[in-house]
This record gives sequence, C-alpha cells and structure tokens, in this order.
Amino acid sequence: MTTPLIEARSLGKRYGNVVALSDVSTRVDAGAVTCILGDNGAGKSTLIKILAGAQSHDDGDLLVDGEPVRLERPKDALDRGIATVYQNLAVVPMMPVWRNFFLGSELTTGRGPLRRLAVKDMRAITRSDLASMGIDLRDVDQPIGTLSGGERQCVAIARAVHFGAKVLILDEPTAALGVKQSGVVLRYIAAARDRGLGVVFITHNPHHASLVGDRFLVLRRGRSIADRIKGDITPAELTALMAGGSELDDLSHELGATSL
Amino acid sequence: MRPQARRLSVLGVVIAFAVALLSACSLPDDTTPSLAAPAQPRDVGNLTFAVITHASAGDEFWDRVQSGARQAGSDYGVTVQYSSSPDPGQQSLLVDQAVASHVDGLVVSLANPDGLETSVRAAVAAGIPVVTINSGLDVWKKFGAITHIGQSESIAGKAAGERLKAEGATNAICVIHEAGNVGLEQRCAAAAQGMGGRMRNVQVDVTNPTAVASTIKASLQHDPTIDAVLTLQGAVAVQAVQAAREAYSRATIATFDLSTDVLKDIIAGRISFAIDQQPYVQGYLGITALYLHAINGNDIGGGEPIYSGPSFVTKDNAQQVLQYAARGTR
Amino acid sequence: MSDGAVVTRPTTDERLTPTSWVTRLLRRPAVSAGIAALVIFVFFSVTTQSFASSAGIATWLESAATIGIMAVPVGLLMTAGEFDLSAGVMVGFSGLVTGVLTTHYGVNVWLSMALSAVACLAVGVLNGMLVTRTRLPSFIVTLGTFFVLQGVNLALLKAIIGQVSIQGMNRVPGFRDVQWLLASRTSIFGMQVQASVWWWVAVVALGTWVLTRTRYGNWIYAVGGAFESAREVGVPVKRTKVALFTATAGCGWLVGQISLFRFGTAQSSSGIGLELIFIICAVVGGCVMTGGVGSAIGPALGALIYGMANLGIVYAGWDNNWLKAFLGVMLLLAVLLNNYIRERAEGLR
Repeated sequence: MTTPLIEARSLGKRYGNVVALSDVSTRVDAGAVTCILGDNGAGKSTLIKILAGAQSHDDGDLLVDGEPVRLERPKDALDRGIATVYQNLAVVPMMPVWRNFFLGSELTTGRGPLRRLAVKDMRAITRSDLASMGIDLRDVDQPIGTLSGGERQCVAIARAVHFGAKVLILDEPTAALGVKQSGVVLRYIAAARDRGLGVVFITHNPHHASLVGDRFLVLRRGRSIADRIKGDITPAELTALMAGGSELDDLSHELGATSL
Repeated sequence: MRPQARRLSVLGVVIAFAVALLSACSLPDDTTPSLAAPAQPRDVGNLTFAVITHASAGDEFWDRVQSGARQAGSDYGVTVQYSSSPDPGQQSLLVDQAVASHVDGLVVSLANPDGLETSVRAAVAAGIPVVTINSGLDVWKKFGAITHIGQSESIAGKAAGERLKAEGATNAICVIHEAGNVGLEQRCAAAAQGMGGRMRNVQVDVTNPTAVASTIKASLQHDPTIDAVLTLQGAVAVQAVQAAREAYSRATIATFDLSTDVLKDIIAGRISFAIDQQPYVQGYLGITALYLHAINGNDIGGGEPIYSGPSFVTKDNAQQVLQYAARGTR
Repeated sequence: MSDGAVVTRPTTDERLTPTSWVTRLLRRPAVSAGIAALVIFVFFSVTTQSFASSAGIATWLESAATIGIMAVPVGLLMTAGEFDLSAGVMVGFSGLVTGVLTTHYGVNVWLSMALSAVACLAVGVLNGMLVTRTRLPSFIVTLGTFFVLQGVNLALLKAIIGQVSIQGMNRVPGFRDVQWLLASRTSIFGMQVQASVWWWVAVVALGTWVLTRTRYGNWIYAVGGAFESAREVGVPVKRTKVALFTATAGCGWLVGQISLFRFGTAQSSSGIGLELIFIICAVVGGCVMTGGVGSAIGPALGALIYGMANLGIVYAGWDNNWLKAFLGVMLLLAVLLNNYIRERAEGLR
C-alpha cells in the first residue's frame, strides 16, 4: 500500500474539559474518497477543522504524506495541498465569479508598487476551468451570489482543483441541495477522485456516501465507531451505525431514504 | 507678570463694585455696621460655586469665561466647578445636579431660557443664589436671579451695525456659526438695524474650516456688491479675511469676540474692528457677585443687569489687548 | 464530466436576459451618485449665475475636496464592513499636533508634520487592532477613540498652550513652503484650483487602483462581503482591516495638515461631526453599510454632491440652514437605491 496523503492516528481534541474528539484514526488515499459520517454533534466538524488547519489537535498524530505535522492555521493546510470547501463555500456573494475564483491566491503582474492583478488572465482561466467542469458561464463578472447552489459548489470545487489541491475536503456539500443538484455535485466528487485527488467527503447522508465512497469513517459522540473500506460495509449497516439504533425517528427516515 | 495682573484685576473689580454700590445708594440688606472685621464680614467656611454654561467643548470664548471664573475662585479662595453643555436639556440636568449637591451659588448662561426655566427656578426656590451670565438678559429677573452679567446683544449688535455704517457699509452678510443660538440671531438682527442697509444671514458649521471659508467665499462671489462681512466668532473672522481675499472682495470685515489672530489681523488692517464682550469679565464677575452675596449679603447691580461690554478693539488699542489675548484672558 | 452542463446550461441562459448593459452599469455602485452629481450640477448651473463660473467651480471643488479625501478611505473601510467614527476628530487632532509642536515648542515644521503623522497612524493602527483583536463592532471601538481624541484635543491643548485654538501658525518658519505643497492655488482654465483638489484626485486614483487592480482590493471586498469565507481561503483579514483603519487615519492626517496650512489655525473642536458627513458621502456614493460593495470614486462623487449642495444653496441665495435637510434626503435616496441594486445583483431572492 502506498503512503496515504493524510493519515490520522488516534486524534483527539478537547475544549476545556469537553472532549470533542477522541481516538479517531483513518486515512485519505490519492484517487479515493474517504467519507466521514455522523449525526449532528458527532465530531465531524471538529475533525475537518483539524484537517483544514482551522484548529490543531491535542492528542494523537496527524501525518501528511507520511510526515507528522501540526496545522496551526488554514494556510498551513493549503500549503500542503489540503483544500477545504466549507458549507458556506468560502465565496463572497457580491463579488464577481472570477474574483471569487482567485480570492486569496490572486495572479499578479508587474513588480513593486506597480504589482497589479492580472485581470484578463484570471477571467480567461476562470472561464476555461469552469467550462472544463461543464459549467458554461458567459459572464464571469456576474456576482457569484446569482449562481445556483450547485453551481456555486462546483465553482468552489473547481477552484480547489485549480490551485493544485491534492486533498479536497468537502463539508456537507450536498446538505442544502435538491436531488438533481446533489447528483451534479456527486459527479464532481467522482471527477476529482478520478483526477487522482484524495477527497474527504463529510455528510450525514449514508446514501450519498455509499455512492462515491471508498472508505467510511463513522463518528458518534466524538469517537470513531467504524472505519471500513468499501465492500466491508453496506448502506444499511452505515445507516444503522449512524443512528446507533436508538433514535428511531431518524432511523426510519433514513431507511426510507436508502430504500428509494 | 501673572500675579501682579491678578492683583490689578482684583483691585479693578473692587473699585467697580464700590462704584456700583455707591450708585445704588441704599444698602438695604447690609445691616452689618462698618465696624465689622475688615477682611471677612462673615465666616462662610468653604464655599462652592457652580458655573454651568451652554458652551460646546473647545469654544474659545467660553474658555475665557471659564478662565475668569477660575481666577475669581482662586482669588477669593472659593471652589469653582465648571461644566457646560450646548444641549439645553443636558444643561438643565447639570443645574439640577448642582442644586442637589447643595452648591453655595450658581452662575448660569441662559442661551435657551425656556429650556432652563424649571431648573433655574428650582435652584432659586432651594435658596441657592443664582447669577446669570452672557445670555438671559430678558429673563434673569423673572427667574429670580440676583443679577445678570453680560452684553446686551441688541446694544452690542446695534453698535457694530452703526460702526459698519460709519465705515460706509450698505450691503453686508452676518455669519452665524452656531445653529439655533438665539443670541447670535439677535446680534445679527440688531446689527442690521444699526447699519440700516441690507444685511443677510449666512449659516456655517464651525467644525469644518473649509466649509466656513468656502461658504463665505461663495456668498461674496454670489453678490459682488457685498461691502461688509460681520462674523460672530474670532476664528470665523480669520477665515472671512482669507475668503474675501480669494473672492477679490474689498468688503470690510468686522467681528464679535477676539483671538490672537484676530488682533494681528486688526493690527495689519485686514479686520476693521472687533467687538469684545469681555468674556473673562463675565466669568470673573459672576463668581464675584456670588461671593459678595455669600460673605456680605450684597445684591449688586441694583436690580439692573451689569454690562460686560461691548468694548471696541481697533487698530489703536489692538497691540495692548494682544498681550492679554495671548495668555487666554481676553 | 461534461454531464453537468446539461443541468447548468438552461439556468444560465435564463439569467442572461436581465444582464443587459443597463443592469451591468447599475451594478457599478458609483453610477447612481454620478447621475445625482450631474443633476445637481446642471440644476445649480442653470438656476444661479456664479455656480458654474470659474471662481464658483473652484470654490465648491475645494469644499468637496477636503471631505472627499476622507470619504474615500471611509468608503473603502465601509466596503470592508467597518466604520471609523474617529475619522472626523482625527482631522482636528492632526492639525493640533502639528500646530502645538510648531507654535509652542518651536519644532521644525516638517518634523512636526512627520510626528503628527506618526501620532495619527498610531491611532489608526490602534483602532484596527482593537477592532480585529476584540471583534467588537468598529462602531463602538471608534466611538470610544472618537471621544478620547475629542477630550485629548481639548484638554491637552488647553493644558499645553492655555488656549483652545492654534494661533500664530502663519509666522512659523517654513509655513509658506508647506503651504505651497498643501494649500497653494494653481490657475487652470481661469480657475484658481486649490492644492487640496489635486490631493483629492490623487487619493481617488490611488483608492481606485488599490480596490480594482490589486490583491489588496480583492481582499477589501472579500472581508466586507463574507468575513469567514475570506479567512478560510487565506485572505489576511486582520491585516487588511488594520491597514484600512491606518489608511483612514493617514488621510485624516492629510486633511488636518491641509486645513492647518490653508487657514493658519486649528481649533480643538475642528472636525467634530464630520465623521458622519464622510459616512453620508460614502453611502451616497454607493458603499453599502454592511460591507462588500463599494468603490473609491463613489464616495468622491458623494463628497462632490456635498460640496455642490453646500455652496449651490449659497449661490442660489437660499437659506443654507436647509443644507442638513438636503443631505438627509440624499442619504435616504441613496440607501433606497443601493438596496434596490443589491437585491437585483444578488438575484431573485
């Protein structure tokens, strides 16, 4: 087996005396999708915050390309090729699509005080990159807030891919989307995987997870209750693990969804 | 220099009051025979007087009033508490507060008499002697104050107008720097009356120097026949000088109130004259009136207001006044 | 992968219809202010004699310039989602520091200006640090510095020179040299244009350059439009805001110096109340108070409107007590228009 892009060994995180995450281990491989599942409050967000560098872990080891690291700030993660697409997509609604696409990593020309944005290049790259992912915007100057939820999600993914992400962390990308739009996003996840990226797909929808996932980490109350690879686990088992057998309402709802 | 001047001014005040008292002839309250101890007719302990004005923070004029009051306080050995607010509601709260803390006397300026009536009457009712200064000439008696120390806006305004007329002015603007101040409006009205010609009011915002200068400039450009500019504050006058020069206007410039730069401009002939209502005197005499009332039961003024001005400053006496202005007392 | 196009294409085409050139133009926040400025210019030019004369234009340009120099950074700050209520009193502070150092302590005039700049920038940095560190609303933080500076201006001045205004400034050695730089007049087309107007133009040009053509400008829009998003993609959000507060203080310094050397005096009350005028100009110029939308030219146009209205009323011979009422109406109209534009720009929500 090759070195995983990211490997978590018994990660833990505490907020004061509240244990948010404890003894969680998993791995993210190139060209594979690792799904992180769990109900609200299971510790999903804490885990991705650690992977994305928004917070650093208290216990255990985090290995990136086999090397133990401690990510102190988002930039540390970005520098190691770990890009995160949060639920809010990290887009600024009132800004044009192209400015959003390059936000924080703008292309510039010239030097010294004359260093300026390479506006033309950025517009062209935005247009062609989005086109290559199947989004045809004639006006990359339109505010990104005017795009549909799925489109915005895809712009965010395309942006991460463009900036050479090796690992793509997607925080519940399908949570707020309808069935059709979710399908579009799942296709992009598959597309990113096929390009050789490692994808971390956070969701509480086991059905979506089983469609694209290669590895499934199920969290509950800050602990890992399963870390299985595809074929080791069925969608029904995933659902059962998530619901923990106790919350019957959720269970029946989710079972209804899986049997569709 | 300072202590000596202080002693001189004390002397001046004493003489002034001797004259005032003599002219009032009868001294009904002064039942104490002249045999009493010369320095302190009555042991009054530690006196505290509150001075509450309608000044906005940083106003030069009121700064001089405050200096005068404080000087009087240290000369007489009494405590002077100075506070101010341009908002009548706020000012009346300050008065209420002073009454509640049982001050021994109150000096108050009545820029907005209606807004302060209740509070001032309450102070009088509580047995606190009140002296009004600067504004409130028409109402001080009605409110029950001992006396009023200030300048009659109509007398001063009229004098300014007559003087402008004497200098040949026929079409003037009067620059009002503080919106809603009745006294300033009165001055302009009286000046217009005294001058006899055409006089129009122009409103400016004193916190924005550029706007002050350009508004005056625009007025002069709008009507090139304007031959006089009357300003009501020293700093505005200095800007009027510049505005007139840039608008190529030969208008005569005159102003109420002084500052060092105004005096320099008077000496240089750029400002024709300044009407000084002597704010230092208002502060100083305000405390003096309360002090005399406290130690000797005197009611000065003889039921009439005491005028602190106007005193004209022209090229002839500007040099002398400049010395006092430089240290912030004139 | 191209399957996605099947889903996205129809919705894109639908949206293309309303993106006419009118919408594109209106999407630029400064355009409505430009139209309003034009209307006001034409109105006063037609109804009064001296408004459009060379002397008249030079006068209202100057009146607009000092406000405009400040309105630009205030507008950028608003675009970044922050306010600076200390901006007005900073103008007074700047002039007073230089004035005291030169007239009272006899410090060289250039050095005094430099020291004054250091003091102003320090206050700006402090504003920025307090806002970004504490995450308190800048409204509250700068309201605090506003009062502190107002008190310092008055109390310290009184304590040091015993007066409440700077006197005798124009006899300071080197006064004329600085005046040449900050407050001289140039004759153009018969207009005696004040130096402040050139400074204003320079500030607008610089602001526009920074906002539209540099990474930093991108970040200003981003921190104002969506703070968390900007942070997540690696924008140095704190640095961006601190720099903006510092730039505002820097412009406050410039205006304070211009005013000091133009009129040869500064009062302890100078600048109080102007902060709201700056904010009005920025809003009239299309900056949105919640951040994310704005320009440098917009606030400048807002200041132009202010300057023209301020003096147009005088030229028209009207009672200029109405100025504030007029500004209020302009502000309300601008906010309504901005709101309408934003709703259209954000789509059919």
